[in-house]
Formats: sequence, C-alpha cells, structure tokens
Amino acid sequence: MSSSHNETTMVLIARKDLKLSAGKLAVQCAHAATSCTLVAIKSEKRLLERWKNSGARKICLQVEDLPSLQILAGQAQSANLITHIVKDAGHTEIPAGTITVLGIGPGPRRSIDALVQDLKPY
Amino acid sequence: MGLRSFIHSLTAPPFRHRNVIDQEVKMVLVVNTNLKMGKGKIAAQVGHAAVSSTLKCGKEAPDLLESWLASGQKKICVKGIDADNLLALEKLASSEGILSTKIHDAGHTQIPSGSLTVLALGPDIESVLSKITDDLKLL
Repeated sequence: MSSSHNETTMVLIARKDLKLSAGKLAVQCAHAATSCTLVAIKSEKRLLERWKNSGARKICLQVEDLPSLQILAGQAQSANLITHIVKDAGHTEIPAGTITVLGIGPGPRRSIDALVQDLKPY
Repeated sequence: MGLRSFIHSLTAPPFRHRNVIDQEVKMVLVVNTNLKMGKGKIAAQVGHAAVSSTLKCGKEAPDLLESWLASGQKKICVKGIDADNLLALEKLASSEGILSTKIHDAGHTQIPSGSLTVLALGPDIESVLSKITDDLKLL
C-alpha cells in the first residue's frame, strides 16, 4: 500500500475505437486536462493546489467505445468527481462533435482508482 | 533562484501586451520525438504541458488566456527532433516574448527520469507563434 489517503490524481480516458493518431490523441487529452483544471480552479482550489504540488499526476487510459466512456462519466459524476467530456471540433481525422476523451480529476486517488482500476493504459 | 535565472530575469524582454482582438490564439505543443514514447505517455506529457502553460498564462497574460479559452482553446501538437531542438525553440520563444513551459518527466515509466519531454509555446497569437513554429511537422 503505497498510496496514502490524501494522494491526488487525474485520469484521461480515451476511446480506443477511434484509432486517433498520437498527435490528435495528445491534443484531445490536453483539452480534457486543461478543462478539468479550470473547473478545479473554481470549485476545488485546495485540492488543485495539493495535486499541483505533488507533481500533477496524470495518466492516460483506454476504453473500448463510447458507451463504456459514458458509463464511467456517469459513475464519476455520481462520486462527485470533477469530470470533463471532450467533443472534437472535427477539423481533422474525425467528424465534428465526436466524443473523444473523458477527463476525471484532479481528485482523491483512491476514489478515482476505484473507478478505473480495470482499464488498460493507452 | 540560480545565478543564470536571476540574470535572465533582469535581461529578459518583458512580456509584450498583445492586441488580441480579431486574432487567432493558439497553443503549440512540441514533443521530443527522440524519446520514442508511447501514445498514452505522449498524451499525458502533453496534458502536463497544457495545464502548466494555461496556469502560467493566467498569471502573466490573462488577456491572451481569455481569448484563447473563448475561441475553443486551440492546440496543436508538433514534432520536435530532440531535447536540444526543444531548448533552441525555447530560446527563440523567449526572444519573441512568447510564453514557454518545459515538461520534464518524473521517470516512473518508459524513459529516464528528468528527460525533457514536451515544450509548450503560448497560448499566443498565431501570427507571432508561426514565426518560430512554421517549420515543425504535425505529430
């Protein structure tokens, strides 16, 4: 047990089925991370500070498809975690409005890990 | 603060106030492709870079941040050759008064600890950024 009870994390969950290129995936995840952070500035300032000061842990995970992403988004919202769903503007690669990435956090690592423990790293 | 960064703080050009009206504002994320990171690793590192530079911009150039956010926080991800290439771009950026943020990896996975993984440039006006990023290829 290395994760102490006040560790914080952020997870970026991407859809594997879209087969995004590395650059596209990175940009979509960056959108999610930035938007989640901006939510945290307003609603969870202390938690945000703690997360930043401990290295702003982020990991990128994968889900099979859109329904799996939506289920996780629902679970995270019920757990009162910060979430953000990224819809692509559709300038390249995929149609406009496609949901690409779900960002969860920054939040308590234990609650987030509980939701995503079965997901594989991207 | 080290001696070099102290001297830099005295001699660096002040951040110019940009007239952001009717200008396209974006963020450019330059990835160190020499490290051969996996896709997920790149995504997390680029995420770090985007968050840090957003927070930095909020302190140093709130006008730019506002217009960047309002226009859908445009980001593009491009290929840098190696760490030296990223450092050279950082120098150019600072001479143009463009905000830059370096991300060094904590080294938990894939690559040695402390590697320079991503350089974020901006958010800034596209015409200013393109002076130094035009030659870079999309990742």
